[in-house]
Amino acid sequence: MSRLVAELRSVLGPEGCLSRPEELFAYECDGLTLHTARPSAVAFPRGRDEVQAVVRACRAHGVPFVARGAGTGLSGGAIALDGGVVIECSRMNRILALDPADRFAVVEPGVVNQELSRVALPYGLFYAPDPSSQLVCTIGGNVAENSGGPHTLKYGATTNHVLGLELVLPDASVVALGGPTGFAAGYDLVGAVVGGEGTLGVVTSATLRLSPLPEQVETLLAIFPDVVSACRTVSGIIERGLVPAALEIVDQRTIRAVEASVYAAGLPTDAGAVLLVELDGPAIALPPQVARIRELAAAAGALRVEVARDAAERQRFWRARKGAFGAMGRLAPDLYVHDAVVPRSRLPEVIERVCAIGDRHGLVLSNVFHAGDGNLHPNISFDRRDPGELERVMAAGEEILRACIEAGGAISGEHGIGTEKRDFMGLLFSDDDLAAMRRLRAAFDPDGVCNPGKIFPTTRFCAESNPKARGYDRVPFA
Amino acid sequence: MTAAAQALSGLRDALGADAVQGPEAPPGSGAASLPRLEPRDAPALARAVAALHAQGLAALVRGGGTRQGLGNPLRPCAALLSTLGLAGVHEFEPGEGVCRVGAGTPLAALRARVNAGGWELPLDAPGRGSTVGGALAAAAIGPRALGFGAPRDQVLGLDVVLGDGVLAKCGGRVVKNVTGYDLAKLYTGSLGTLGVIAAAWLRLRPLPERSLVLEAGAPDAAGACARGLAAARRATARAAAVVLPAQGPARLVVELAGAEPAVLRDAEELADEAAFAAVDVAALDRVRRLQGDAPSAGGLRFRLWLLPSRMAQAAARIVAAGGSLLLYPGLAQGFARFEPAAGAAPDAAFAAIAEAARLGAGGHWVEEAPAAVRAGRDAFGDAAATASLARALKARFDPAGVLNPGRAAGGA
Repeated sequence: MSRLVAELRSVLGPEGCLSRPEELFAYECDGLTLHTARPSAVAFPRGRDEVQAVVRACRAHGVPFVARGAGTGLSGGAIALDGGVVIECSRMNRILALDPADRFAVVEPGVVNQELSRVALPYGLFYAPDPSSQLVCTIGGNVAENSGGPHTLKYGATTNHVLGLELVLPDASVVALGGPTGFAAGYDLVGAVVGGEGTLGVVTSATLRLSPLPEQVETLLAIFPDVVSACRTVSGIIERGLVPAALEIVDQRTIRAVEASVYAAGLPTDAGAVLLVELDGPAIALPPQVARIRELAAAAGALRVEVARDAAERQRFWRARKGAFGAMGRLAPDLYVHDAVVPRSRLPEVIERVCAIGDRHGLVLSNVFHAGDGNLHPNISFDRRDPGELERVMAAGEEILRACIEAGGAISGEHGIGTEKRDFMGLLFSDDDLAAMRRLRAAFDPDGVCNPGKIFPTTRFCAESNPKARGYDRVPFA
Repeated sequence: MTAAAQALSGLRDALGADAVQGPEAPPGSGAASLPRLEPRDAPALARAVAALHAQGLAALVRGGGTRQGLGNPLRPCAALLSTLGLAGVHEFEPGEGVCRVGAGTPLAALRARVNAGGWELPLDAPGRGSTVGGALAAAAIGPRALGFGAPRDQVLGLDVVLGDGVLAKCGGRVVKNVTGYDLAKLYTGSLGTLGVIAAAWLRLRPLPERSLVLEAGAPDAAGACARGLAAARRATARAAAVVLPAQGPARLVVELAGAEPAVLRDAEELADEAAFAAVDVAALDRVRRLQGDAPSAGGLRFRLWLLPSRMAQAAARIVAAGGSLLLYPGLAQGFARFEPAAGAAPDAAFAAIAEAARLGAGGHWVEEAPAAVRAGRDAFGDAAATASLARALKARFDPAGVLNPGRAAGGA
């Protein structure tokens, strides 16, 4: 390994590669702190050629590698299994081109999501995908995970906004896929790579679609006695063919955590849930939509509906939503942010089931989620030092996934599979389904050196009954 | 026994006599001369492909047959594999805005069904008899792709039979899903060369409260492109087409759709700015025919990708070579056609298209061309950069080269 590190330093400079144990500690996990793996080294390339050199060196030494952005992922996608090298993209953070006339930008993978929207703002444009971590998460990670966000409902996820990619393939060759017009000379390889969780190559630049800012935005906050009636409102909105820009639900436990934190937004702590509705589009079209949403909310039992009077109030409404994860940190030392998706019409019954699962396991479970997409985020607050608590969290997590699948859903709406859910893939997909995915993997990475150990099940059958088989027994206790 | 007769008897042995229809026409007359497989469900499709794979027989995969000119020339096939037996709307949930539909279902039939339930089918590719599976396999757009998005963005999940007969699904019925690789993107637009689509979960769009089709003339091509782009960027624009005939004046066709007050406001402003006037919705069907109708024998048709700001410049190059154009500026796409009567030599036409694609920072696909002029020209333009990935994918998904052999980029 020291020879590989020396080789990486010769390419990247002495500051361009970390290898001492205390330096590697920060790279042991991503946003999913339950799964840890120490990389053998962390490389900081400054551009495509250096990424290529790193991949070439890794291949020569038979060491796997994984690209990493800001490390905000929640499924273990950015951790290096099998003693791999982390390719850290923070030094590749340039916006290479911004074309307001044709509405696209070319960026390096380390560019922070919100930075792109900030730079595009003077042109009346923005980058639509807005994960909750958008203040720090990077485009490379967004591409790998096909990240969503609250506004996915109207604007789509990352995949709907990527026009082209430059990629260092696992054999260290460079390939350009797509381009600013979206043209592909044959197969839609851009579409295949987005959401590939970093297993198909290392993205070195992305050509992204920029969207025009809407003429007008209206943000409503509906207060409900319980989360089920909020869900019923969402089902009604979808059924009537209304397409808000965002439909977010925050439940009582989350409201209370937020109100007790620096993110306090003045929400009523006795409310069972709040539904945040954002509408955007031509100003002339919004008042009737606001009226219809008010009617639907009232019919479903809303206690009251507030409409943001100005930008400051809109930001206050959103602060409750976007600050939720940070606020949850006050409740317990550990937070398991779950992610699953169900048909929107099934939300009321599924949310009841999810809450019942949490109660049955004696867990502190709260919900803050992208209701309009049917994308649930049951969050479980816990303390891994308490004996048996982690096992109960995992058991509840699995039951929630099963409940979502039974309702016609899927096991990840936007966080990805990574190591977190790889052994649950068999709950949704047959061996043949998974084999088809492996064919894609093999076409790009026949030797399995690019982010190995992700997405695909390892110990399929024992995993379903034995949490230890999923590696949780190796979780270091604080 | 001839090879064709051998194939027929081998397939009948494997699948049963009823599953394989004999050729309708004598050998040498194209698809009609091939034994025909028309499975009625996905398992039967899987059995059919497995039998072809086991016997080393290649198959022409076909839906409505409306886009057979796409892609590179097929190598000889021993059978015709039709998806028309896989028709039917399996599930349609008006409360959810999604449906599951068999690949052989005609777009028109599906559209009628979901319209009746208050939803819009977000696929409007031209072609009488065009099927869901065929439109997805060809990534075929129509003018309304401006409002709907690309075909790939309408697909929530697919059931696909791979080249060795394995039936595999990807995605699902939910509107947001990152469970595993997004293989649906790979299959969409792959022209049936990696797998045969058996069924699809599609996202639907709400029917608009109001829609309105408008037309206007334009002084010249550059003005038409600029006005077309401005119209396409209106909040309610669902379609915006620029018609540039080889001779005669340019024309614009725009559809607005959405909330009534917004549609009426946009219509009024377009009328003031560029003399747009309301016309019958049939104007949009004429645009589709202009896009989809085959050129006369010996003619050429291309699908183009061009940056909106450079469309006029690229178009001028094509018009100068005797071509005519239909452009969708908001989509950065368009279609060019060369009629033999216009007198353009195919070499000059191909040169103009390549130059236009370069000017427009995009590319082209050949949609229609006589066999003679296809030789030595990849139907997907410059496919060299991704050729090795395309070959690797073909080798994994269709190891024996059963499905539409030769059609993919680079001849895979």
